[in-house]
Amino acid sequence: MQSLYVEGESFMHRLPARAKLAVLAILGVILFTTRDIALLSLAVLATAAIYFRLGIPLAQAFDRLKPVLLTIAIVALFSLAFNPWHGAVVALLRLTSLMFFAAAVTATTTVAEFIDEITLLARPLERIGLVQANDVGLAVGLVVRFVPEILGRYQAIKEAHAARGIKVRPVTLLAPLIILTLRDADNIAAAIDARGIRRHVS
Amino acid sequence: MPENLPSHPLLHFCRRRYRSERQKDEGLHLDIRFEGASVSYGARQALAPLTLQLSENRIGIIGLNGSGKTTFARLINGLAKPTAGRVLVNGRDTTGERGALSDVGFIFQQPQNQIILPIVKDDIAFGLKSRSVAKGEIEAKVEAVLTRFGAAHLAPRRAHELSGGELQIAALAAVLVTGPDILILDEPTNQLDLKNRALVQRLIEGLPENAIVITHDLELIADFDRVLVFHEGALAADAPAAEAIARYREIAR
Amino acid sequence: MSTRDLVLSALFAAIIVALGILPPITLGFIPVPITAQSMGVMMAGVVLGARRGSIAVLIVWVLVAIGLPVLSGGRGGLAAFAAPTTGFLIGWLFAAFTTGYLSERLVKAEQSGLVQTVGFFLSAMIGGIVVLYAFGIIYLAIAGGVSLEQAFVGSMAFVPGDVAKAFVAALVGRAVMVGYPLLPVRA
Repeated sequence: MQSLYVEGESFMHRLPARAKLAVLAILGVILFTTRDIALLSLAVLATAAIYFRLGIPLAQAFDRLKPVLLTIAIVALFSLAFNPWHGAVVALLRLTSLMFFAAAVTATTTVAEFIDEITLLARPLERIGLVQANDVGLAVGLVVRFVPEILGRYQAIKEAHAARGIKVRPVTLLAPLIILTLRDADNIAAAIDARGIRRHVS
Repeated sequence: MPENLPSHPLLHFCRRRYRSERQKDEGLHLDIRFEGASVSYGARQALAPLTLQLSENRIGIIGLNGSGKTTFARLINGLAKPTAGRVLVNGRDTTGERGALSDVGFIFQQPQNQIILPIVKDDIAFGLKSRSVAKGEIEAKVEAVLTRFGAAHLAPRRAHELSGGELQIAALAAVLVTGPDILILDEPTNQLDLKNRALVQRLIEGLPENAIVITHDLELIADFDRVLVFHEGALAADAPAAEAIARYREIAR
Repeated sequence: MSTRDLVLSALFAAIIVALGILPPITLGFIPVPITAQSMGVMMAGVVLGARRGSIAVLIVWVLVAIGLPVLSGGRGGLAAFAAPTTGFLIGWLFAAFTTGYLSERLVKAEQSGLVQTVGFFLSAMIGGIVVLYAFGIIYLAIAGGVSLEQAFVGSMAFVPGDVAKAFVAALVGRAVMVGYPLLPVRA
């Protein structure tokens, strides 16, 4: 699975993940506590500048934002139609600014960096016995590992049904898909435990 | 026998005959003891009380499905716990704090459920990461273990694109990278085609580690020092390969 | 958490991701894309129960946050948390938890198939619609600059589709319970 990270040498690329996430959080708080249109417009310009100067080809840069931008625009239009314009514009500017900076963080931080960061954050929770920090990387790995197998299984079930002349319906596809996938859990868990990967678990 | 010969399937056969010499040099001796160990699930007894000692370098385990052979094997690495009696590996009780995990590697029959991360080298590395091995050392060890099996080319590959045989080799690498001196293989060739079966068989022959192989593929264990035959939860035979296989054929009739 | 539970949750997260990759069903012209993926969230609850169902969603959140395009349509990254519809994404956790919580208590092995299916359907509706929409609508009002009433009305167009999904999720829940029961039974 191709991640949304884009290689580059920009200023954002060189910042540590933690700093970027902290700024994102602070930005979020600021954006949602002010209703000053001038300030919010400034934020949009600043974050857009950061995003578009990362080195991502313009077309690609826009493409990545399309789904969120579309949603923001539609809701803003809806709001404009029924409410005083100030509220609609505030919402539009807030979300757009947040979107630009969030997208910039995603594009300049690798999956591995993120996982390391979350793992570090989870370590204190280990003492309470809530989670095992390494489980984050393991869980992510397990998903990426087995999604292709699940998609393959889906095709196989679909073909088997077609071959048997069974009409393809959501339930008749999903139930076997889920059962066959989850049945593997015991074997996978045994292999993980046999390798001593989650050593602290009894 | 010189150690620096390039890897070649034929040479694996030659290596085997010199293994016992090397074993004496490297002190890789097996010490597994069953002391009245048995496993019961409620009223059903999966394994009758067993007392024996394993010290051979190659041990085969055969028997019909449900005969208790998998339960027996899982007692050795602690995946199964005895409901009575105990099992000691290298002097340590398998149910103890440290258990036997670090000394015993386990290979399962389904190739695709053992490589659990998308890319082979990351999967092999994960076993070392969770043992807090230093980053620089990890890369070297991963490369070394794959090279050992002539499989260095598998390192960057995606697991879901590999054949069953390639996955089993990757699994072998993943399990052996942490250096266990005992390897249990539970029907390792069951799901493989003939070509991959032969490949994995050659790899097993060449392993210096102590290997305990559960299998339906009698060819795999045909020249093992000792073979245990299980039947209906109890040990039906304990003898050199030829004799044990004959006894197994009687039972299976 | 046992290794088995972790693997079950991760595999279900993978199922939710897979459902986002398979062809989507898009209804409506208002901002919430509807796909089989949100049905996956309901199914996580009916099949795995509250705890593991929630962890499955948590894992999906992590996948999105770290920059993997796992949301239907290939969406992902932190920007996915910056939309006015983000409330529905956040609501997934509570939807799965509620659906699972109710399934564990409403559905019993001794019940007839019909009663079990009804139990799953109610759980999926309350979790996947009532709870989910509560989060979605409230966030839409706060972040989208619309009133609660407007957010509510705007979201209603998607309810029929989600009712249909709850129905499918219930049937699947029942079928899985027959084939490979995993639901923890609680009083």
